[in-house]
Amino acid sequence: MLPFLKIMVKNLLAGPSTDPFPFAPAHTPKRFRGRACHDKEKCILCGICRHVCAAGAIQLRVTEDGMAVHWVLWHNSCVFCGLCAHHCPTKALTMSDDWHMTHRGEERFDQREVSFVPYGQCSQCGARIHPRPESVVQQLGSRYPERFMMCPVCKRQELARRVTPAKPSITTGESDERDSA
Amino acid sequence: MSETYTLPVGPLHVALEEPMYFDVRVEGETVRSVELSAGHVHRGMEALAMNRNWLQNITLTERVCSLCSNSHPTTYCMAVENLAGVVVPERAEYLRVIADEVKRIASHLFNVGIMAHLVGFDSLFMHAMEIREIMQDLKEGVYGNRMNLGALAIGGCRYDLDEETTAFMRAKLRELDPLLTELTRVYATDPLILKRTRGIGVLPMEEARRYEVVGPVARASGIAYDVRRKAPYAVYPHLDFEVQTDTAGDVHSRAMLRLREAAQSAVILEQCLENIPEGPICLPGAVFIPEGEAVARSEAPRGEVFYYVRSDGSDSPQRLKWRVPTYMNWEALQVMMAGCQVADIPLIVNSIDPCISCTER
Repeated sequence: MLPFLKIMVKNLLAGPSTDPFPFAPAHTPKRFRGRACHDKEKCILCGICRHVCAAGAIQLRVTEDGMAVHWVLWHNSCVFCGLCAHHCPTKALTMSDDWHMTHRGEERFDQREVSFVPYGQCSQCGARIHPRPESVVQQLGSRYPERFMMCPVCKRQELARRVTPAKPSITTGESDERDSA
Repeated sequence: MSETYTLPVGPLHVALEEPMYFDVRVEGETVRSVELSAGHVHRGMEALAMNRNWLQNITLTERVCSLCSNSHPTTYCMAVENLAGVVVPERAEYLRVIADEVKRIASHLFNVGIMAHLVGFDSLFMHAMEIREIMQDLKEGVYGNRMNLGALAIGGCRYDLDEETTAFMRAKLRELDPLLTELTRVYATDPLILKRTRGIGVLPMEEARRYEVVGPVARASGIAYDVRRKAPYAVYPHLDFEVQTDTAGDVHSRAMLRLREAAQSAVILEQCLENIPEGPICLPGAVFIPEGEAVARSEAPRGEVFYYVRSDGSDSPQRLKWRVPTYMNWEALQVMMAGCQVADIPLIVNSIDPCISCTER
C-alpha cells in the first residue's frame, strides 16, 4: 500500500476528475463525431452514402410523382462511423459535434434527419435529371453552365451539333481515295 | 477433505467480464484441472461480412471488439489492399501506426487496471483508469470517438493530423509519461500487488511454445514474438523500439510487460509524430478489388491478428475469416490454472487479456 499512498493523497486533494455534466457543459472536441447533418443544397442524390452505410441507416425514397427524393437518416440506427461523410463527393454530409441523443420513447420515430431533395430538370427538354446544386455547378460546370444542366440525351445531341460542321460533306468513294492518297 | 468436486464458473459470473464457461475441478481450495467451453456470444459476424460490401465491412470489423477496434480494420484493409495490389501512401502508413499505438496504450492500461481491481485494490484501479483517460481524451480530440476511431479506409486513412492535433497529441503524451512511470513503479513495488500476482498462473516457455500462445502472454514467457518485428508491416521497419520480453511468465510479469509496452508505444508515437511525411492520406477514388485471395497479419494489443479474404470480383467478399490471439491464449489457461487457488481464477483469466467478443464474433 505504501508506494500508492502518496498518489492517493494527491488524488484526494485534486478532487473529482469527472465533468459535472448535467449541471455544467461537458467539453466537446472540435473533431467529435456526433449526429450526422445533411445539407440538401449540396446533395446530388448519388447514393454513395446509402451504399457505404454499414448500419443501413440511410434511405433514399423517391416520391410518388417521381420528382423528388426523401433522403432519410435514422439516428437510432446510425453507428457514427463517419463513412458516409468521408465518401460524400460534394460534402453534403458532415458529422456534427452534437452528441445529445437522449429522447423519450415516444419520440423514437422522430430521431431522423430528413431532407426533401427535388430532382433537377433538363434545361432543354425538361426531363428528370439528378440535381445540380449551385455549389457543384460552380465547381464543375462553370465552363459550360448551360450544357451542365442538360440531360444525357440533350447533352449528346448538343455535343454532336457542336463537333459536326454546319453543312456536312457527303462522303463518297472518290473523296476516300483522295484522302488516302 | 481430499474430495474432488466440480465447480462451474460462468457463463455469466461476477468474476468474469465476458461470458465464458469453466468447469473447474477443485480439491479444497486448490484447482486440479480446468475445462473450458466457449460459444456463448456468437454473433455470426463472418457470415454478416459476406452480405456487406467491402466498404461497409470496415465499420463491421471495427466493431468486432472495442479494445482492439483499430487492429481489426487495419488488418482487414491490409488484406484487401494486398488483394487489390495497391500501395498505401506513406503518410497514411504513419497515420495507421499512430492510431494503432494509441489504442495499444489504452488497451494495456485497461488490462492492468482491471488486474488491480481483481486484486481488490480499487483505488489503484481507478488511478490506472484515470491515466487511461488521457488516451481516451486524445482519441476523442483527434479521431472523434473514444473507442471506435473510424480512422481507416481501404487505400489509406480517413483522418489527418494538422498542427493543432499534433500539438495536442504531443501535450497528451507529455502528460502521460510521468504518470505511466509512476504507475509502473507502483505495480513493481506494491506489496499487495506482488503478494497476489507473483508466481501465480505460471506458463513456462516450453508450454507456451506447445500451446503457441501469442502477444504479451508469449513474450512474458520468454518468446520474443512480435509481428511488428517478425513480419514488419506499415512503417514499423523504420521505427526504433524494443520488443519487451520477460522470463517469469506469471500474472505479475504479464502486467509489467504490458506497462513497459505502453511506454514503448509512447516512444513509437513520438517518433511517428516527428518523422511523418507530407502527402496524400488516401488513394484517390475507389480501389478496385479483383478476384482472388489474400492474407494479412498485424500485432494487436493482445497478439497476432490474422485476416483472410477471398473475392470473386464482386462488391462484397466471398469469404472473410479472421483468427484472433485469444483463441490460442485461452487454451493455455489449463496450464496456468492447474494448482492455483480458487480465488486466483479471475486474476489468471484476466492476465491473458481475454477478448471473448473477438474470438466468438
